Amino acid sequence: MTTEIQAKTKFYYDDVQVGDAIPALVKPPVTLNQLVRYSGASGDFNPLHTDPEMGKRMGTGGIIAHGMFVMGCVGQFMSDYAGPGGLRKFGVRFKSMTHLGEVLTCSGTILEKYEAEGEGRVAGEVKVADEKGDVKVVGSFVAALPRRG
Amino acid sequence: MIDQSKIGQSFPAFSFEVTRGKIHELALAIGDLNPIYHSKEAAQAAGFPDVPLFPTSPTTFSFWADTGGGRRMADLGIDMSRALHGEEQYEYLAPIYAGDTVTGVTTLVEGKTRQGSNGAPMDILTTETRYTNQNGQPVLNVRRMAVVI
Repeated sequence: MTTEIQAKTKFYYDDVQVGDAIPALVKPPVTLNQLVRYSGASGDFNPLHTDPEMGKRMGTGGIIAHGMFVMGCVGQFMSDYAGPGGLRKFGVRFKSMTHLGEVLTCSGTILEKYEAEGEGRVAGEVKVADEKGDVKVVGSFVAALPRRG
Repeated sequence: MIDQSKIGQSFPAFSFEVTRGKIHELALAIGDLNPIYHSKEAAQAAGFPDVPLFPTSPTTFSFWADTGGGRRMADLGIDMSRALHGEEQYEYLAPIYAGDTVTGVTTLVEGKTRQGSNGAPMDILTTETRYTNQNGQPVLNVRRMAVVI
């Protein structure tokens, strides 16, 4: 694929400290096109996520994003931090619905740092909120980080 | 109301072939353009044997391969069209790459009935899916909680 290669900061186990904030990821506004793409990619074709009429009927205030789409944004956030393949555990709880046009920001904090199975690991908490501060998802993770040298 | 005798019941195994195309589509829909998820060459340049799993790729395994899941829940008296996704948790036990075939077995591990805020009963269901790869190695556990209103 010929998209621009984003320069990613690499985080090393040696440098991370408990209490560190993970650099926030601010996503562009959620679009219907994106949710249609996500439906096809994930295989979740529930019409709540693509059909405005269904959204009205079900009282969700219009189309809502797949919860797993929002978790996917956290997946990108975690992958930017720990690198692809870096996660050991990753879990979220869904708190509220995400509507079209909302701007999601993923943020997180390192709560623990320890050695396990020959790896340097960090554990922490993550959160997704929209531009009004409405929390969509809270979660936790364990990731292995590379060591220096 | 969940039939408590069904707790602990496992469903038939299903298999999913992990492909580069499906990882690419999911990452693209979410907006993660890290080339490691989109190109075998970029993945190999980063030291992976092939494109690694996107963090939330396991959602594609169940939606695309476990197509009888909803019907089996209906057999247990659970209407999944009324289900809200409550929680999703991954435990990544070993790397999964494009080219692997994973086989999952899902077990209904917990089911409780609670009174919702509107006074109507709601069922809270937790399933766990344990995946092995083509070598029989455990690679992934997925825990999923849904609230059926």
